[in-house]
Amino acid sequence: MNLENSAHLFRAKPNAARRAERGIFWLFRLATYVVLLSGAAVFANIIFKGAGTVFKTEAPFINTTFLTAAPESLYVFEWQGQKREMGDHAFRAFKQQHPEAANVKAESFVYSAGGIFPCIVGTVLLVLGSMAIALSLGVCAAIYLNEYARDGAFIRFVRLAILNLAGVPSIVFGLFGFGMFVIFFGWNVSLLAGWFTLAFMVLPVVITASEESLKAVPKGFREGSLALGATKWQTIRKNVLPYALPGILTSSILGIARVAGETAPIMFTAAYVVRDKMPWEVEKFSDFFLQGVMALPYHIYVVSSKIPQNEYTERVQYGTAFVFLVIVAVIAMASILLRNRLRNRYKW
Amino acid sequence: MVTAVHAVMEPLSPSSAAEKPTPRLAAAQPAAAAPAKPGAPAATHLIDIDNLDFFYGASQALHGINLKIEHQKVTAFIGPSGCGKSTLLRCFNRMNDLIEGTRVARGTIKIHGVDIYQPDVDVIELRKRVGMVFQKSNPFPKSIYENITYGLRLQGRNKKSELDEIVERSLRGAALWDEVKDRLDQSGLGLSGGQQQRLCIARAIAVEPEVILMDEPCSALDPVATAKVEELIQELRTRYSIVIVTHNMQQAARVSDRTAFFYLGKLIEYADTRDIFTNPANPQTEAYVSGRFG
Amino acid sequence: MSQSIPTTKPDHFVIQKKKVQFLGLTVDDCIKVFFGGNAVVSIVVLALITYFLFREGAGFFGQNRQNLMVYRQAGLEYVDFIREETDNHTALTRYLSDLRLRSLNHLVQQKGLSPEAAGASLAKFDEFAGQFGEAVDPVRVILSDLTETATAIKTKFIVNEDKKEERRQLLAEGKTVEAAAVRIVPVDFNAELQPLRGTLPVFKAANHAFANTLTALLNQVPVLPAPELEQRAQRFQALTRDFLATLPLVERNLETWDHHRPVPVSQTITAFVFGRQWLTASFWQDWYGIVPLLVGSLMVSIVALALAVPLGVGAAVYVNQIASLREQKIIKPCIEFISAIPSVVLGFFGIAVLGEALRLLSQQSWLSWVPGFPFSERLNILTAGCLLALIAVPTIFTLAEDALNNVPRSFREASFALGASRLQTIIKIIVPASLSGIISAVLLGLGRVIGETMVVLLCAGNRIAIPDFTNGLAVVVEPVHTMTGIIAQEMGEVVRGSIHYRALFVVGLVLFLVSLGINFMAQKIVRRYRISIG
Ligand SMILES: Nc1ncnc2c1ncn2[C@@H]1O[C@H](COP(=O)(O)OP(=O)(O)OP(=O)(O)O)[C@@H](O)[C@H]1O
Ligand SMILES: [Mg+2]
Repeated sequence: MNLENSAHLFRAKPNAARRAERGIFWLFRLATYVVLLSGAAVFANIIFKGAGTVFKTEAPFINTTFLTAAPESLYVFEWQGQKREMGDHAFRAFKQQHPEAANVKAESFVYSAGGIFPCIVGTVLLVLGSMAIALSLGVCAAIYLNEYARDGAFIRFVRLAILNLAGVPSIVFGLFGFGMFVIFFGWNVSLLAGWFTLAFMVLPVVITASEESLKAVPKGFREGSLALGATKWQTIRKNVLPYALPGILTSSILGIARVAGETAPIMFTAAYVVRDKMPWEVEKFSDFFLQGVMALPYHIYVVSSKIPQNEYTERVQYGTAFVFLVIVAVIAMASILLRNRLRNRYKW
Repeated sequence: MVTAVHAVMEPLSPSSAAEKPTPRLAAAQPAAAAPAKPGAPAATHLIDIDNLDFFYGASQALHGINLKIEHQKVTAFIGPSGCGKSTLLRCFNRMNDLIEGTRVARGTIKIHGVDIYQPDVDVIELRKRVGMVFQKSNPFPKSIYENITYGLRLQGRNKKSELDEIVERSLRGAALWDEVKDRLDQSGLGLSGGQQQRLCIARAIAVEPEVILMDEPCSALDPVATAKVEELIQELRTRYSIVIVTHNMQQAARVSDRTAFFYLGKLIEYADTRDIFTNPANPQTEAYVSGRFG
Repeated sequence: MSQSIPTTKPDHFVIQKKKVQFLGLTVDDCIKVFFGGNAVVSIVVLALITYFLFREGAGFFGQNRQNLMVYRQAGLEYVDFIREETDNHTALTRYLSDLRLRSLNHLVQQKGLSPEAAGASLAKFDEFAGQFGEAVDPVRVILSDLTETATAIKTKFIVNEDKKEERRQLLAEGKTVEAAAVRIVPVDFNAELQPLRGTLPVFKAANHAFANTLTALLNQVPVLPAPELEQRAQRFQALTRDFLATLPLVERNLETWDHHRPVPVSQTITAFVFGRQWLTASFWQDWYGIVPLLVGSLMVSIVALALAVPLGVGAAVYVNQIASLREQKIIKPCIEFISAIPSVVLGFFGIAVLGEALRLLSQQSWLSWVPGFPFSERLNILTAGCLLALIAVPTIFTLAEDALNNVPRSFREASFALGASRLQTIIKIIVPASLSGIISAVLLGLGRVIGETMVVLLCAGNRIAIPDFTNGLAVVVEPVHTMTGIIAQEMGEVVRGSIHYRALFVVGLVLFLVSLGINFMAQKIVRRYRISIG
């Protein structure tokens, strides 16, 4: 009894230092959760408000027009004591039906009706093309750096260039793409110009990711293969790349998220504010590459800065942001999850 | 380990070493004892190393090595860690080329009389003829079948019947056939450590090299697996010339015909294995093989 | 397997190369060169970026020199001396109206007067202010006349330039006859400027009268109802006296002004680097000074980092040192996930939600002690800074966490073994050991923030002006424009090859160099840090 009460030498004593420590740890925890909550707040706001546009309460529960139609102007007017909202097409048809409505006073809001289908298509095209370019360039560069290069001034220079390229602001890439592809090459505002601009922008991400994956392939695979009389290239093709490729691809998905998410580089190289034709409606095949497209991020910029904020425009603003965020978030999530899976799986 | 070595050392007479101060180098020896075929021509020397200096960048790893490795014999390289055994071994199939800054500064290595460091030598061809088994078994993450046929496919040999035959022959040759014949399409990584190492040996012999270099092939294996690999080496000696690096004195004594002892990048003594272990000419060799090494 | 195992050796040991070569290279060499070529792409891209920024931007300085030359030759500079005087006077009248507002508030709130009564009691002040304001009118009249004259000269000059350009194009197309038909009357600046300079005596007279009026008025500043206000009135008097002292200076400037004085090349550079105005498409004179944009970018970045550094580094320390393993596993991907939010979505969030939310928050009375609160512009430095912080945090977090992770475990264990608490270990051992890594993380975060476009374009308020630093910390609620924002906003609208277009490329070049510098510094610090630990 006495023993239990008596303070032994190592008993934890609650004292000021201990309390201070706990308090400071709570500050650190607070910082962490503030960050997480802010991120969550952005997500929640856009998901909740955007869901209203993208989903419906009745079957099929998804607002297909929004996802499959092109943007239109929205007309809001009073008709027989009721407030009516109509898209451009519907409004014209309505006026034809009701000739007496010809002079009805309607407020119009651009892009606020219809959907965002052309933007989705444009973004998909931009991502596919630029990733194809970036992956082929980046993987080859990484193969050189990791398999062939011998340490020297040249390689150090290449690595320095890659590091610095990673730090160049995206708007500078936009300026560069504009100066080189749009003007100097005369491609005008086009898919091609956008592809190359975006590809160069993500190049460092792809190279770094590829190199990391190549490094993860054990040295024994290479030595074993070479000792059997394989050439360097045979070794790489048969015994290195196959094992590095899953890693390269998953890490590059993060690059996709970046490509899809950037606005600044495509503003003057590939994006149109509005375009009536869909990308495949071209006369010549070559026109396909030399056409500008609408893109989701640019559309968000346009609808959030060029038109007023009100109940009518909010629908399309939040809807677009929602669709965009979901696309990018799914890509990013896939990348993060796959990468963690891969890390656990490949242990040679 | 030490006791084991002593067991081998028993007949050793301590005095004999001190009497001969100069190392008994192969070059100075007329194709010595052992079961050398009577009247065999110089061609029994498969690999002829002449006065070799080797550098890693600025640091010299091998100093003036003179060594003649014989045809269809097992040659063991022994010596303390860092003395250059692996370096020399990797010179034979020019694996050192993969390491930056390495160079042969002086001397030659000839295989069948061909200097393998001449610029007109195709390293790929060389490596096809000089196979290698590594310390850490490194099966590729492919099926067992694909592992064995890897080297053959590289040469464009894709005929199924031919490949099947070679796979079986190689696996039998590596004493692995019975253990894996029912799961040839499973990953090579699924085998045990000893099996993996034998798979690597099978892979090496599938391309029918003349020489097989083994760099501590048993260092990661348990005694049972080691015994199997040793057995295998005994079988292979009839068809291949084998050079093996080992830290296990018993193993060297058991499997090899000739033994070379290295110390600090120099070849100290090269002789018949029996002589090295029972009657070493050099006191350093004696100290090492008897486990009294500093 | 009936076959016997072949033991035959090749007749001779064939290991010589078969000579399959292409341009003196073997196949493997070609493959190597191909891959090497891809690796060079990153260098090439970097070089191309530099080249094209220079290519498009280089013409700017020449064109700006021309621009400044016209400013002088057409007499715009002359007129601006007078304009500056009137502008300064306007600032003084604004001070007066501010004073009146304060007095009114004082009377209504402290003295309990009705607004009408308060207004009436300020009648004397109003009369004074009126007189003070009107005093400048004669000068104003002269100014507006001169403005017209100078504009006319400038227009003539520009028309001439256009014609020259037209002729050049015609010549280039080979139409010599049409080119000769383009009539160009050179502007005789001497003659054209005569009416401008001829007004000097008139101006002097008007200026004297103006000075006299103000001096007379200075003695009649009415008494104000509170000592605090009196102080302000004193200050007003002092300011006015300073202003009066500048009047002779203006006259002297006008007298010595010489439109022949050349514009040195260095001035085109200083005009850009130190220029305090970015004014484009103006009817009077375009200015391309980067200072307001640079300051805007810096202010936004500072605010962003002020928020992001404690949060990012704090979170990194928490996750790396304090959190349980399970917490770590959840938090890390979550923060990484935040970095995936596209910046344009954040910008939209700022416009739609955050700006308004911050404004409402600032109007809470219990927060009025915060500098700058309440504010009315919902898009300002603070809004943009908050969002940029969210962009910078994942970068800082990830890199700082890496740096913390790289501290050898043994450091930590040694510290614990000496009886240090966890906090002491973190503060005294872990953080100092990874400090350079953390600093470089912060630098890279800064690079990220300075280069960010969409958020500032949407949320920084886009007012091209150097924010007013006199209010101390309250400066963070002012709207600004940034380097990235101005490029994004104006690039789409400018004429290719125009001076404005080129100016935007020079801003891009500055941005490029700044980001390279930041990157370079971060790398240097990291390298040093590797050596110190390893
Ligand atoms: N890649 C390398 N770069 C530089 N020096 C090396 C390299 N590999 C080995 N060395 C050096 O060359 C010398 C010989 O090394 P080697 O690997 O041949 O020794 P070893 O006899 O095989 O030793 P172990 O029994 O430990 O395998 C050593 O001093 C070693 O430090
Ligand atoms: Mg070794």
